[in-house]
Amino acid sequence: MAVATTAATGVGNPPVTAARRRRSSALPYVLVLPAIIVLGAMLGYPLVRLGTMSLQEYGLPQVFGKPAPWVGFANFRAILEDSYFWTVLWRTLIFCFVNVALTMVLGVLIALLLEALGKRMRLFVSASLIIAWAMPALTATIVWQWLFDTEYGLVNWALDRQGESWWADQLTFFMVATIIVVWMGIPFIAFTTYAALTQIPTDMIEAAKLDGAGFRQTFRHIVFPAVKPILLILTALSVIWDFRVFTQIYVLQRAGGITRDTNLLGVFAYRISIGENRFDIGAAVAIVMLLITALLTVAYLRAMLKQEEV
Amino acid sequence: MNRTRPVRFLALLATAGLLVAACGDDDDDTAGTDAPSGTEAPAGTEAPAGTDAPAGTEAPAGTEAPAAETTVPPPPTNPPPQELGTGTGEGGTIRLWLNGEADTPDAMVEYAVAEFNKVHPDVKVVLERQQWTGIVERQTTALSGSDAPDLVEFGNTQAQAFEAAGALIDLTDRAADLGGDDFLQSLLEAGTYDGELYAAPYYAGARIMIYRKDLFEASGIEVPTTLEEMVAAGQQLMEDNADVANFSGIYLPARNWHAVMSFIWEHGGDIATQEGDQWVGQLDSPESIAGFEFFKNAFDTANAAPADGDDATDWLAFCAGEVGMMPAPGWKPGQIINPDDGCPDMEANIGVFAMPGLEAGSTAPVFLGGSNLGIPTNSENQDLAYDLLKVMVSSGFQKQFAENGTIPALKSELANVAGSDAAVAQATAAENSRFVPTSEKWAGVEAANVLQDMLTQIAQGDDIAEVTAQADAAIEDTLNG
Repeated sequence: MAVATTAATGVGNPPVTAARRRRSSALPYVLVLPAIIVLGAMLGYPLVRLGTMSLQEYGLPQVFGKPAPWVGFANFRAILEDSYFWTVLWRTLIFCFVNVALTMVLGVLIALLLEALGKRMRLFVSASLIIAWAMPALTATIVWQWLFDTEYGLVNWALDRQGESWWADQLTFFMVATIIVVWMGIPFIAFTTYAALTQIPTDMIEAAKLDGAGFRQTFRHIVFPAVKPILLILTALSVIWDFRVFTQIYVLQRAGGITRDTNLLGVFAYRISIGENRFDIGAAVAIVMLLITALLTVAYLRAMLKQEEV
Repeated sequence: MNRTRPVRFLALLATAGLLVAACGDDDDDTAGTDAPSGTEAPAGTEAPAGTDAPAGTEAPAGTEAPAAETTVPPPPTNPPPQELGTGTGEGGTIRLWLNGEADTPDAMVEYAVAEFNKVHPDVKVVLERQQWTGIVERQTTALSGSDAPDLVEFGNTQAQAFEAAGALIDLTDRAADLGGDDFLQSLLEAGTYDGELYAAPYYAGARIMIYRKDLFEASGIEVPTTLEEMVAAGQQLMEDNADVANFSGIYLPARNWHAVMSFIWEHGGDIATQEGDQWVGQLDSPESIAGFEFFKNAFDTANAAPADGDDATDWLAFCAGEVGMMPAPGWKPGQIINPDDGCPDMEANIGVFAMPGLEAGSTAPVFLGGSNLGIPTNSENQDLAYDLLKVMVSSGFQKQFAENGTIPALKSELANVAGSDAAVAQATAAENSRFVPTSEKWAGVEAANVLQDMLTQIAQGDDIAEVTAQADAAIEDTLNG
């Protein structure tokens, strides 16, 4: 944007010297340089390291100084030929899809609720959302873990089913994990959507009402199209977040989940890398995750751009 | 149309940037959450060159922080580092990593540091106690960094991986100076890789049965002499204490695999055996399955602990009066009567016996636990650490293990194990002890929770033949991979 603006000014004022033009066109790059350096150091370096490691043999001996031989794509071949990897991949995609869908639907519903509420209740709901959002994932998961604890949990006490485990069964494990992930994801969706909703001109909605449109029609033809770009971006973000979910799964596995039945890609990569000391294979899994995330993101961004063109 | 395209492209770039930034922020959050957990911070913040690549994209080792293995709130976290002794710190500071809540009692560490300070009055010693849960991951991170601790305790099943990787300095030349032939053979083996000694034996522990004398008396039960009698006694206690919520005749949370393995070994089964250069899983052998069926019966009829629980908080259950008897390491009575979160009043009611075998008069094979001490290659104070190590394997120090009911690493101190009931029971149990497969890849089996998960499934009533075959496959995969 900045580049476009300066270029435009340049065209509007022909008598500027060549030197000045060059300096002013360099300025934006200078300004953006610190951010690029920080991003490069924080994200770029680990990424490059990850990439090289996925092409090497890299185990515990290499961590402590032995040379790491290059093995080409052997690590990728190893995971792609492993049926368990595909199980985990599909499990992760399904978990991601369910969580994103639930988060988006509930988040938008709460945003609509926020708009409909009176001042005092809106404040109350907002404050509750903020608290849920502000809680670190680890803390939240431990609290939920206790609520669903086998022996001492509030939920088991209320249902009078003490001693029955929520963790040991795959389905109930992911049910609780979904509750935690969705619970933590809703506030951001709700607030952002609410902000978008407040930008819709009220006269449009009033006009629609005057023309006899009910809530459903108003939502379909006015509200939804207006917030659609925001919802697309939110969905893209949620997909990224829920695809990489780690803390919740890892902590709940320690509470008693069957590790093999409940691994998602993020935890799987961690267990291979840090648990089994196969940093090479773990890096390959992480690279595959990265590629999938990138694919999902690009798909959403393209959808969004098309939307704009219509 | 043409004019809007560049703008659109910029918008795309900006969005992509935002997404990347969002990912980055999230990682920061994760790292942030682990800060409050005391000594976890070093592991989380070190980001050593060797391991940071996987950590960079995935939630990093920092999330390890909770070690929230427990089923009883609040979850145990690593206590904050303690500065011990009288060292001024002018001559440097060395960091000592010991595992568990009370495996090495505070008084013993204080003794060791005091002895160390006699030689090095200007060196400060910082003790950092680490939870056993997740210890391998934390040690991997910490030892590969430039800020490695200087003297580190390793579980004897876990030491091999670090020795094989070159994470520890070679102590072979100084082995005679440390203890030489006086060291217990099985611990020496755990500390030796490829003929070289990397980790000095520290202590051993055999599992024993701890029981409530008063409850046994009230139910008119004698100390059992066979496994069948033991389970029957557990059932009797369940019946007689039915009014106590969560009461277990035999406290047997399924994920306590160290204890459950006794049943399998006593029935003739095993975890895995080596045939040629290949490991072959034995968990689905008929003998092992008979052992698991025995466990399942005991779990169902004499126990109230959950299928998804482990022994991380067993002393709290014991103190709450919910336990008739339980398998536990020899130092457990000390933890039960510790004044901080234990119950000193219980002392008179604690009895111990060695877990009996199927035949009267025999004992069941027990898991031989234990620890070794090693000096990380990345420690900056290796000579100072060696001097502290020397104190901790000295007879003056090891004698106190014996007095605390722990089997010392020195054979010459074994005679002192006659001190307490627990120690005697333990020494009896240790005569018939077993170990996990000795492979540097065994740590991977533990990290993947293979045995724990299998036991949870068995306890829940899954098909034993099926889940044991699964576990065998996973173990063979890791050990032979």
